Amino acid sequence: MLLDLSEEHKEHLAFLPQVDSTGQGTRPRRVVFCGLGGGTRGVPGAHGLLVSLAVVAEFGRIAVEFLRRGSNPKIYEGAARKLNVSSDTVQHGVEGLTYLLTESSKLMISELDFQDSVFVLGFSEELNKLLLQLYLDNRKEIRTILSELAPDLPTYHSLEWRLDVQLASRSLRQQIKPSVTIKLHLNQNGDHNTKVLQTDPATLLHLVQQLEQALEEMKTNHCRRVVRNIK
Amino acid sequence: MELSEYVQKGFQMLADPGSFDSNAFTLLLRAAFQSLLDAQADEAVLDHPDLKHIDPVVLKHCHTAAATYILEAGKQRADKSTLSTYLEDCKFDRERIELFCTEYQNNKNSLEILLGSIGRSLPHITDVSWRLEYQIKTHQLHKMYRPAYLVTLNVENTDSRSHPEISFSCNMEQLQELNFQTIFKWF
Repeated sequence: MLLDLSEEHKEHLAFLPQVDSTGQGTRPRRVVFCGLGGGTRGVPGAHGLLVSLAVVAEFGRIAVEFLRRGSNPKIYEGAARKLNVSSDTVQHGVEGLTYLLTESSKLMISELDFQDSVFVLGFSEELNKLLLQLYLDNRKEIRTILSELAPDLPTYHSLEWRLDVQLASRSLRQQIKPSVTIKLHLNQNGDHNTKVLQTDPATLLHLVQQLEQALEEMKTNHCRRVVRNIK
Repeated sequence: MELSEYVQKGFQMLADPGSFDSNAFTLLLRAAFQSLLDAQADEAVLDHPDLKHIDPVVLKHCHTAAATYILEAGKQRADKSTLSTYLEDCKFDRERIELFCTEYQNNKNSLEILLGSIGRSLPHITDVSWRLEYQIKTHQLHKMYRPAYLVTLNVENTDSRSHPEISFSCNMEQLQELNFQTIFKWF
């Protein structure tokens, strides 16, 4: 499955390196200012400027940080100053890269598909390799981040418990009433929620039996078949 | 056991064979237990033909006194000798004391359950239900292919009589943590 990159995306990514087809490997790589422009095909001279692979790698790193922690305008400004471009240009470049990475990770596209998708941008082979490596290195983490965007249900975080024995109350003295107090930690949309609950030993045993059955269910033939065949 | 003068007076009337003959005494006693322990009981417990000849004010007084005494005894987990002592002080004869203690013994368990259930406590888990699903994709993430559990705990609040539910999702490892940690530490 190939990625579908819109014209705008291609434009943003065009900030990233473009190499003169005659200059591969022979021309010294320099950090230069690069302008946005049309022409997304690998036409030599259409962008006439280079950016070193190191810079792209740096942008890749920024893009992943952007996914982890959100965008930080100051970084854009710093990079823009160093490269002598507008911070908008830098921002678009990083955003383009981010989109490339998230879409690829979301769809879990194969290496070949990724390479073919990136090919249309007309970058150099080294750059394509770099982008591919960026994708493969960060794919798992990006998928983890994306999976955290989905939940609407509270998810289990952890459990604390305590065993108590009630000895007396206002209405009845001399009791021996064991109970288990449970603090359930849940996450919902980033918020941490705790619920304090209680149960008696008999119910606890029942709960445990029920949940054991739930776990056993995964080992049945039916579930195994589904897991095996839906990939 | 410390009881009010109201109770004492009521018991003194109850002890008097002139006001309450044996039959009436037994009926009143049973009515007192019934009022406390039977959820459906109402005013009608005292509506018995054999109690009709007694002044309703006296009847109510004695009924209340008996019920108060029973609750206090239950709360303190009074034994037979404690019960007898107080009744003797109220001038109950041997026979009536025996009757009272027997009735009390018969109803003791129910009474203690009732008293034990009064009071505030944390929300109480009563049941659990679960659902196993196999996640394939979301709009943010395709090709997920992982099993997940949705667990719902049925919870009862003793005060408000409400039954909220707590639902959450978890994966297999977490379900194991939920399960075994609790069971092994308990045993």
